[in-house]
Amino acid sequence: MSNPYHNPKAQWAAYLVFFVVLACVPLMVENTFTVNLLARFLVLGMLALSVSLVWGYGGILSLGQGIAFGLAAYGMGMTMQMQAQDPESMPIPSFMLTNELTELPALWEPFWHAPTGIALALIVPTLFFAALGTIMFQARVAGVFVAIVTLAMLSAWYSMAFDMQPYTAGFNGISPPNPLQLGEYSIDPYSATAYWIALACLTVLTLGLKALLHSKFGLIIQAVREDPERARFLGYSVAAYQVSVFTLSGFVAAVAGVLWVMIVQYVSPTALEVSFSVTMVIWAAVGGRMSLIGAIIGAFLVNGMQSFLGDELLYGFLLVLGGLFIVIVRFLPNGLAGLLESVLGRFGKRAAPSDAGGPV
Amino acid sequence: MSVNHFWTAFAFEPFMNALLIGLSMASIWLIAALGLAIVYGTMGVINMAHGEFVMLGAYTTYLLQSVFGLPFLLCVPCAFLIVAAIGAIIEKLLIRHLYKRPLDTLLATWGLSLVLVQGVRLLVGPEPKNVTSPAFLNASMQFWVFELSWFRVFIFGVTIAAFVVTWWLLQKTRVGLMVRAVTQNKEIAAAHGIDAGRVYTLTFAYGAGLAGLAGAMFGAIKNVFPDMGAGYIVEAFLVVVVGGVGSLAGSLVSALGLGEIYSVFAYFTNGTFAKFWLFLLVVIFLRFRPQGLFSEALARR
Amino acid sequence: MKGSRRSFLKSSAALGTVAGASAIGGFPQLLIKDANAQGKPWVTKGGTIKVGVLFSLTGSLAVVETDSNQVVQFAIDKINKAGGIMGMKVEPVIIDAKSDIKVYSEKISQLILKDRVIATFGGYTSASRRAMAPIVMSRDHLLYYPTCYEGRECTQNIVNTGPLANQHSQDLIPFMVKNFGKKVYFVGSNYIWPKESNKNAKVWLERAGGELLGEEYVELGGSDFTSIFNKIRQTKPDFIFSTVVGDSDIALHKQFKQEGFKVDKMPIAALTTGEIEIRAMGAEFGAGHFLSAPYFEALDTPTNKKFVDEYLSSKYGKGGVTHYNMEETYLSVYAFKAAFEKAAAKAGSVEAVTPRMLRDVTPGIRLEDDISPEGLVWFDETCHLYMKPKIGQCGGDGQFKIVQAAKDHIAPDPFVIYPERGVCKFDGLHTKDGKVLKSVL
Repeated sequence: MSNPYHNPKAQWAAYLVFFVVLACVPLMVENTFTVNLLARFLVLGMLALSVSLVWGYGGILSLGQGIAFGLAAYGMGMTMQMQAQDPESMPIPSFMLTNELTELPALWEPFWHAPTGIALALIVPTLFFAALGTIMFQARVAGVFVAIVTLAMLSAWYSMAFDMQPYTAGFNGISPPNPLQLGEYSIDPYSATAYWIALACLTVLTLGLKALLHSKFGLIIQAVREDPERARFLGYSVAAYQVSVFTLSGFVAAVAGVLWVMIVQYVSPTALEVSFSVTMVIWAAVGGRMSLIGAIIGAFLVNGMQSFLGDELLYGFLLVLGGLFIVIVRFLPNGLAGLLESVLGRFGKRAAPSDAGGPV
Repeated sequence: MSVNHFWTAFAFEPFMNALLIGLSMASIWLIAALGLAIVYGTMGVINMAHGEFVMLGAYTTYLLQSVFGLPFLLCVPCAFLIVAAIGAIIEKLLIRHLYKRPLDTLLATWGLSLVLVQGVRLLVGPEPKNVTSPAFLNASMQFWVFELSWFRVFIFGVTIAAFVVTWWLLQKTRVGLMVRAVTQNKEIAAAHGIDAGRVYTLTFAYGAGLAGLAGAMFGAIKNVFPDMGAGYIVEAFLVVVVGGVGSLAGSLVSALGLGEIYSVFAYFTNGTFAKFWLFLLVVIFLRFRPQGLFSEALARR
Repeated sequence: MKGSRRSFLKSSAALGTVAGASAIGGFPQLLIKDANAQGKPWVTKGGTIKVGVLFSLTGSLAVVETDSNQVVQFAIDKINKAGGIMGMKVEPVIIDAKSDIKVYSEKISQLILKDRVIATFGGYTSASRRAMAPIVMSRDHLLYYPTCYEGRECTQNIVNTGPLANQHSQDLIPFMVKNFGKKVYFVGSNYIWPKESNKNAKVWLERAGGELLGEEYVELGGSDFTSIFNKIRQTKPDFIFSTVVGDSDIALHKQFKQEGFKVDKMPIAALTTGEIEIRAMGAEFGAGHFLSAPYFEALDTPTNKKFVDEYLSSKYGKGGVTHYNMEETYLSVYAFKAAFEKAAAKAGSVEAVTPRMLRDVTPGIRLEDDISPEGLVWFDETCHLYMKPKIGQCGGDGQFKIVQAAKDHIAPDPFVIYPERGVCKFDGLHTKDGKVLKSVL
């Protein structure tokens, strides 16, 4: 028997169990606060998923995942804010008054219509990632340079969200007063419904990505990660593959941004902060960037720690987080999933050389 | 009562002053970036905690001044030495284990920056501290159309001095020769009897020390607080990346260029908008010259 | 590969059902057992009165909010020692918001839904208020927001004890114009509150016959004012009106002196440079500048002297100063006490008191001279305070000398410069076309 960690069937089984358990959580939890908190974790898990995809599998260390998250969050915030406006008596959100606006700016017009708004919130960040990816990877920007370019781009958007106050409310952020209204239904962020919507999205994305990574496309992506030069000599368009995986990760982060605002009813430039985007990388690193599910669990663990350890570690939390991160990078480059892999590997050692072992 | 506060019209005197301010900004960014440039150029390590070394320099100055009563001008070199020592320790404990994984050093040093910020917050307290500078620096000087504070002139002077000393160390001394040898090829340098590990420790310590020097001065124009380092790190990176890896002259030119672009944009529009354009221009620049201004080819590490 | 694809299809089909069910509303919100809906009383007789205290005790906002947290505890201690509220002790649930906007939003819902506090004291920045507001509003709960803000909001669930933009600069601008000259340059931090404050200040400036030379904003936390001082040097104003906050404010005052400007020729008139900021920058950089606030530590009234003495000698007063933000926070606790007593009397029992009821009885509550360190204040129907702003000039010792105090109380008016929007009243914003909008953010 080989390492069960690399057994595709075992992997799929683990994924199924994981999501089924998550789906049952609201049935067990009584407090609405906890349901909402867990829904937030699901969304953060989705961000770790996007990091795992782009960094773990694509080998592209992007510190700019917050761009897609933030842009989508703003799109959703605008959509939900417009649901609270009235064309007659309250045509524009009140923060615009401070900035001398008397009419709704054209940028905001499409958000009167919620489905259009949500669609834009998903499409615009994805297209932006496609464009940025094309610019970077066609110029063969690689390694730490990608990190720096995405970081600079993120900083640019951050200062933009701050400065364009007539459109974004700047530092104050946008807080739509009412929950999202879909048709006749209002999605209370504290309901199990909101939780299940988030979970459904996370599940579909995770399983979809896993299937994709098992496909030929996924294998080429990893070949590109291991050695772009050799992949190029083999005739693959390295840039095209890198752009695809980068764009896909942007889309995943954008879905997270939309769900986040549905759940917390608030968006501000903090979504575009550098530290937030780096924290996502921390989650993925802790859980294991080479494992989609590992990265998600990493996000759950770190955020759960922050929420539940709380006051005993009050002053020490950042110390612990920073220290944990150093230790993980230093001793466990593949995170907890890597640890599991080596533990399971010990059980399976007796048998023949392990099978090829797809992505985890 | 409305003022068109977005565009400022051109006028000779303030525009000349804006150019001068650009020079002053450049000196601030250069001194903040110099250590980063050396460490990255030599070791290929992206040090995300560089801003926190700046912060440590500022706190060192504060402590030396308020606890030991040292005069400000003496605190500045002390900050260099003390932060360099801290840098050496960190290199031995953490950085040296990650040389083969440049992306991971980026992440580990980010973790380090969290620890340093929170550690300082716990030990010294979260409230901002105050570094006092000598009275003669708290005034401004005038010549022709220019007007600038002496403190900015002081920073400018120290930056130039630090730059010249660094250049001299690298080009004219034996240690510098060893550093350059290790930069070019670590294995062959080691085969010639150079202790590469020691060179790396020295380089990292020197880079950290430069950050400490910068922090000692920055504490006096603003305040000293635990997360002050975050305010410099992105700009410092841009200076290094635009300048080109391992090129001191590149860093100098890119700091000058970025400082002037920023200041001129800030003069005609405003600071936040200027920053946005700065970031955008850098991204566009890197699209066409990913290796930076002064490097021949993209380093493959 | 084949096997895995098949199981993938199966699993996605299964999940599709779950997702579909919730999306089409098969069992929407079935599982919310909301505390409100259960009708459980917020306070039980013989128990304690639980209140939330949500400030940042760590991170960059801790500098200001730690003091807010301390002063709330100080006030609660004081109330408890004097017998509590109607014989019941007040029990603070203290949570650290870690200077993280996400945490404010998460923890306010914890306080409301899990800890079941009856009201929360919290927040300092507008961003934190706006992150908390949707939750407070959707659960019809109550937030005491104890600091100055821009106004232009009309809600049913927030009680404010700081000055609104219209109260802050009404006296300051004419005072500066009269004493230093007509020409002014506005410098602010780049966000909504400074912009709104400046908008109000422009109205007062126009009435005072002043002239606005320019308006510049620096990014929050930004610390380089050379470009702005370059423009100020060019335009030569008689004074600077500053709404720069936090670390930037300290850098502004330091660089003002380093750039060679003279405080007696062109002072800075600020809305936030209080005792704490002066201490952080060093009194040499603050001396001679002006501040408008309803409260100063140096205020010479018996109530304030007692407040300062008691606070600084208590275990909470290690910070060594009191300032306007702390006093406004202190007031909010006493406003809560008065509201609770009024509501309980009205409802007939403490168990019938709800957060919303506290808000509804707040208009008209007066905090008299013997309670309020800044002197008598009272709430209007929108739950903002009538107050008397004062102007202080910083001395060489870091304390302010009050150079002018308003004769009459100034009315709060969150929509004063937006009459076309409507009028904020007890039950919401009354728009011009006769509608009443309950919550306008």
